[in-house]
Amino acid sequence: MSDQMKTYPVLNIKSHSPVMKSFYFSQPESDIQPGRFFNVWLPGVDEKPFSVSDVFQGIMEITVKAVGPFSRKMMDVRRGDLVGLRGPFGKGFSHHQHALLVGGGMGIVPLRYLTRLLRQQGFYFEVLLGGRCSQDIPFQTDFSEWAPTTFVTDDGSLGYKGAVTDYMQDKIRESHLSFVYSSGPEAMLVKVMDLAAQVGLDYEISFERYMKCGIGICGQCVVDGSGIRLCKEGPVLTRQEAEKVSEWGMPHRDATGRRNTR
Amino acid sequence: MDELLKTSFLGKTYPSPLVLASGVLGLTADSMKRVLDAGAGAVTTKSFGLEPRKGHPCPAILPFDGGLLNAVGLSNPGVDEMVKEIRKLREQAGLSSGIFASVFGRTHEEFGEVTRRAVESKPDLIEVNVSCPNVSSEFGTPFGSHERDVEHITRIVKKAAGNIPISIKLTIHCPSLIRMAKICEENGADAITAINTVGPGMLIDTGVMKPILAHKVGGVSGPAIFPLALKAVYEICGNTRLPVIGTGGVRTADEALQMIMAGARMVGIGSGVYYGDIELFTHINRELRSWMIEKNIKNLKEVRGIAYE
Repeated sequence: MSDQMKTYPVLNIKSHSPVMKSFYFSQPESDIQPGRFFNVWLPGVDEKPFSVSDVFQGIMEITVKAVGPFSRKMMDVRRGDLVGLRGPFGKGFSHHQHALLVGGGMGIVPLRYLTRLLRQQGFYFEVLLGGRCSQDIPFQTDFSEWAPTTFVTDDGSLGYKGAVTDYMQDKIRESHLSFVYSSGPEAMLVKVMDLAAQVGLDYEISFERYMKCGIGICGQCVVDGSGIRLCKEGPVLTRQEAEKVSEWGMPHRDATGRRNTR
Repeated sequence: MDELLKTSFLGKTYPSPLVLASGVLGLTADSMKRVLDAGAGAVTTKSFGLEPRKGHPCPAILPFDGGLLNAVGLSNPGVDEMVKEIRKLREQAGLSSGIFASVFGRTHEEFGEVTRRAVESKPDLIEVNVSCPNVSSEFGTPFGSHERDVEHITRIVKKAAGNIPISIKLTIHCPSLIRMAKICEENGADAITAINTVGPGMLIDTGVMKPILAHKVGGVSGPAIFPLALKAVYEICGNTRLPVIGTGGVRTADEALQMIMAGARMVGIGSGVYYGDIELFTHINRELRSWMIEKNIKNLKEVRGIAYE
């Protein structure tokens, strides 16, 4: 892990949609488990945490969707531009057999790298991915090739119409699935935790909070009820850890540290 | 309470001389509770002012070989929110744990106002941050560099704090630290916290050839400043009667002991959390205890300030 800032040239860029791109860097560190993240620095703009979407043959992939000022600036990055990377930070996913991977929106990103590793282990797993529309769901072909994959979209433009959690219920009742991985919007995650608990399944879930340092000292990403720092003990939490937290589903703390109730 | 490590400070006894320094893990009750559980005798909140502040963009906290460089820029949720968190922490942690509230103001008067609001939450100490080096573009050079400002702010805060003791957090960037400490003493301060971060300093990325911190410059903390902090504590303890919270680069029990031998009553740990994580408090407590047993020392006051004699 490197906590110190270092800049790396962008080796390649792939467009998934007008507002979503993957950026490729020469792999900065060896211990990049899926779910761990890098702080990405755009000189003159800002620095934000991003989970890794893939590591393959010495190349690391980071996938970004333009949703705010920083990620919109990311869309202007060109091949050869220097981007700062610090990490990998935090704790990632561990490996479990017979898992169901439930991803929503950009939460799909860390699950895609997890999929590569589970496959390498020869594990059986299934995937359930949701988004507002087909364009919101990256890596459709990879997931479909690698595992039995079900797509669900709000508008029905890909797979079933509805919410992922509607389909999760049926999946986890199938006895061959015994573990859940999930990442996505928090409203979805709250539902996922609930459904998993109902049938007594263990899970690992990746959560998101505003972060400043990435190294466990600023206190910005500590979640109430637990004292857990999402940048250090997270962003992936086990069921046991996640159940201690009292603030899931509440408005997140913003840069001031105040809960953003707007 | 641990007989060996128990430390009296301003009329109260804490289970350890170790204090979480302001700026690290001090934003919420649950975060500070975890540090108390790990063995800190007291925790200091992140500095807060009247209104919520976002602080500077990132990178705002940057490790380098000798320590950390930071320009967080006094981000904080404002006094209303912090009063709630301090109250919540008090409920969780009880009366025996120390809760120190760190306050700042953009003006002398604002220091008083924030203090008046902060005392509603009944902290054990108001720590007065007159020395943040990261907001000078906005606030001007830190008040802590000017004797008149420190004198005035000390008086204002002392009055606003009522019966809650106050500690002025000093910077080494002033004409004379000894004189500054005496000014605090003469104007009603109950303690001194020494020192704040040093500098500011800078780091440049040789790839993009630009400063890395969004704010370009930031305060230096961690191992690089330990000898500076230790010397400051030694000077203040030798020249005033105020109890001192010795803070700056402490990462080990040996360094904590050095602070105590220089005269510190309590020892602040901030950047140390980066090196030894939250368990650092547990480890240092354990090592201090073993050292005391080995040397047959019953209380740390036996060695406090011993370097001076």
